[in-house]
Amino acid sequence: MDISVFDTIKNIDDLPTLPSVAMEVIGLSRSAEVSINKVSECIYKDPPLATKVLRVANSAFYRRGATEVDTLHRAILMMGLNEIINITTSVSVLSILPPKGSEGETLRKAFWDHCIATGLIARHIDKKLGMRSMGREFVGGLLHDIGKIILDEYFHKEYMEAHAFSIDVDCPMYEAELEVLGTTHMEIGHFLAQKWDLPGYIADITLYHHQPGEAQYKDITALISISDLLAKAKEFSCGGDRLSFVLTDQPAWHMLKQMGYPVHMIDIERFTFEIEDIGKEVNNYISTFSEPGAEGFVHE
Amino acid sequence: MSELRTSAGTAQMTDDNFRLLRDFIYEHSGIYFSDTKKAQLENRLMLRLRANNLTDYDKYYYMLKYDPQASKEMRSLFDSVTTNETSFFRSPPQIQAFQEKALPELMNNRENIGEKTLRLWSAGCSTGDEPYTMAIIVKELLQERLSEWDVKIFASDISEKALRSARSATYNEYTLRSVPPEIKKKYFVPDGSQYKINDEIRMLVELQYLNFNDSKRVRLMRGFDAIFCRNVLIYFDDTAKKRFVSQLYDNLNPGGYLFIGHSESLHNISRAFKLVHFPGALGYKKE
Repeated sequence: MDISVFDTIKNIDDLPTLPSVAMEVIGLSRSAEVSINKVSECIYKDPPLATKVLRVANSAFYRRGATEVDTLHRAILMMGLNEIINITTSVSVLSILPPKGSEGETLRKAFWDHCIATGLIARHIDKKLGMRSMGREFVGGLLHDIGKIILDEYFHKEYMEAHAFSIDVDCPMYEAELEVLGTTHMEIGHFLAQKWDLPGYIADITLYHHQPGEAQYKDITALISISDLLAKAKEFSCGGDRLSFVLTDQPAWHMLKQMGYPVHMIDIERFTFEIEDIGKEVNNYISTFSEPGAEGFVHE
Repeated sequence: MSELRTSAGTAQMTDDNFRLLRDFIYEHSGIYFSDTKKAQLENRLMLRLRANNLTDYDKYYYMLKYDPQASKEMRSLFDSVTTNETSFFRSPPQIQAFQEKALPELMNNRENIGEKTLRLWSAGCSTGDEPYTMAIIVKELLQERLSEWDVKIFASDISEKALRSARSATYNEYTLRSVPPEIKKKYFVPDGSQYKINDEIRMLVELQYLNFNDSKRVRLMRGFDAIFCRNVLIYFDDTAKKRFVSQLYDNLNPGGYLFIGHSESLHNISRAFKLVHFPGALGYKKE
């Protein structure tokens, strides 16, 4: 290849863009003057987005109380500002890169299933360790492999080759990507996170989930790194990576331990068995986003 | 069947019942029932409710927890929650982990030190499905090179009846339901309505009577590269379990693997092993 895949992707004009309102909301989350009113007013500027955020807020996955929340204002009061910002981010990304691609649908769905499973596992571990990531762990899990989705979208044929290579040679996906495409999903994901001006922790997670020691946001990157492995161990896999590993030998595990999180309290066997039930949650989560009549699932 | 139904026949296991019983069983046996297996647990425990003439799962849980006779009931409970049936290629993810990851690694290590020997142990082999499955996997991996290797698969059980059946190496269609057709063709010889394992595979397996309480003899089982001891530990109390697992650790070569039941855990039993996550299954490694 004369021009590298990374350069080609950087120069693609019609790379998906986040809805401007979503970018504005993420921007607000960084500002000192963030308020309930500002965030809800901002989301309402994009009515289809607002509808979707409300629908997700009312889904079994997020819903807190018995009564349905019918305004964003109420949703924020119930769930907190952070969670609504997280939902807005997830909804926006999933609607521009939907789980069903035109080609290679099964693999595309497997990529997303893996991402959602990673987010859900991260949520469980976050709770067990009392990390208080405030929902960022779910968004982080959801977006950690966004680079794979982009590679699959723009270099589908080559990406399938990399996938086959990873299975044949029994190597991690990123090694197969380097071999076949000369770039990795981490590099592409990081580029996209920056282009979309996503929060710094997401950019960190996309780039360093396989080397959490390099990250600036160490806690959450280590958390996603572990969750990613466990999702693969339970075969919520992006395909390719059929790994064996010792969890307690992982750099991410040592990092969490050093940061004082009670990792030694986790019954790893039992937790691994519990993850079996996450399969059901993954499907629930996907269906939340793909209910009939949900608009906005078009490629832009 | 209606005349056989006692009041337990209509008992419903609530989600709370399920969680309490699941945790109780895990704590005492190391066997975990995930949410998706609620119906399975409910079915199994229905029989225990009937046997004890109880009308609901609340009462059963309290009996287990507070009744002085509970230890007797626990034995029956664990019996009913472990599938006593055994079959070829049982728990595919574990078999696959052994076949694709553990075994190639073990053989590589052996070859690197120029010692082409392999010792496997099916501890609690029942009617022989497990050790013969292991033998088939080894043959599949080595193919023609099998003759260059010194391979022995020890298979032990406490039941003479099971061992007799294992020696006959003859199985019905149902036991072979998870066997891939090409494997069946290669290694099984039709024998009336049944199938007999071929001689090459049979020769790899050495069956013997062994009582795990006979610590002198268990100690003699040395130098194994992998031990399968699935759904056996539930029959021991905690102290015996700890002693036995530490013995199994000693029975393994450095770098060797122990596989226990698919949803069994050694969490409260041993810290000596490294817990390895294989795709879809767990294994315990001696370093």
